[in-house]
Amino acid sequence: MLMIERVLGSRLEPAFHERIHRLEHSGGVDVVTVSTVDMPRRRLRLVSARGEDLAIALPRDQKLFDGAVLLLDEDRAIVVRAEVERWLSFQPRSIAEGVELGYHAGNLHWRIRFAGERLLVALEGPIEGYYARIDALPGVASIPRIVVTGEMAA
Amino acid sequence: MLERPQGQKSGRLASAARIGIGGPVGSGKTALIERLIPELQARDVDFAVVTNDLVTREDAERLRRSGLIDPERVSAVEAGACPHTVIREDPTLNMAAGDDLEVRFPGLELVIFESGGDNLASTFSLDLVDWWMFVIDVAGGDDIPRKKGPGVLKCDLLIVNKVDLAPHVGVDLPGMLEEAQRARGERPVVAINARSGEGVDTVADMICRAVLFRP
Repeated sequence: MLMIERVLGSRLEPAFHERIHRLEHSGGVDVVTVSTVDMPRRRLRLVSARGEDLAIALPRDQKLFDGAVLLLDEDRAIVVRAEVERWLSFQPRSIAEGVELGYHAGNLHWRIRFAGERLLVALEGPIEGYYARIDALPGVASIPRIVVTGEMAA
Repeated sequence: MLERPQGQKSGRLASAARIGIGGPVGSGKTALIERLIPELQARDVDFAVVTNDLVTREDAERLRRSGLIDPERVSAVEAGACPHTVIREDPTLNMAAGDDLEVRFPGLELVIFESGGDNLASTFSLDLVDWWMFVIDVAGGDDIPRKKGPGVLKCDLLIVNKVDLAPHVGVDLPGMLEEAQRARGERPVVAINARSGEGVDTVADMICRAVLFRP
């Protein structure tokens, strides 16, 4: 089990970019995929794509992020890849629909964000669970919705 | 066995792990902590506790009087509002309490945050804790897992307490545990009796593995 006690920086930083690029050519870059649920944790165990068992224990002022460099030496690097986050994007057709949707989203303690006139709900579990709640709410069940990821959620 | 990257010093970690214990009123959160204390001491874990109450410091005083732990290692947070507000929406009071314990006890490995009793929608912010448990109890009704509250679904470990009461309250315990496991998929469920200590060693082992990286 390899202990990781800090994030060294971002793979995009000039100090790391060139070295990691070189290691990529020699096959020295290992990736650890972190789910959206696990991303805020400072202590967790994960297994990298190449089977390295990682024990991550970050200081409380650090967090994981996409591209975080966890290890970098002469022969290898370990870099975080964030799992793509999925959102349920609602497009209310009236102020009344928007207000009702916002009210229930708050009551259900869903993590949300806004994009123009859309309200996006982070899918932190099986989508069936979200549909089960929505379909039980008259006034919300009929609001147009689609699942979006990445830049579409911006 | 733990190894560190080249050039990094060995020794204890820079900051303590933080875990949460949530659950409804009366489900046995404080009783679980009272049983966890000797289990963690037996595993040589250096730890402290932060309790949360609505408008009193009742749980902290109970632990301080227990004789199980140095009273200085127990801090209290008064939520003053719904308990989930200070473990999820704005956990800064608890974060400050954890920071204070880490300053006062250098080398601390683990801080346990006990939420005030709340409802099935209660969850912890991962800004506050690294891993958290949700405690329900048999006497609260065997339909709790079927209700699929966020606390039951999202916690890292679901604990079903007071298993000894099942025959007295007409609860089918194997059925309740089966439904809890079905609701949570592959995530763990542990049955305990915090009064007798049954099952609490399993909980202590899971804490040690999850956030202290013990074998």
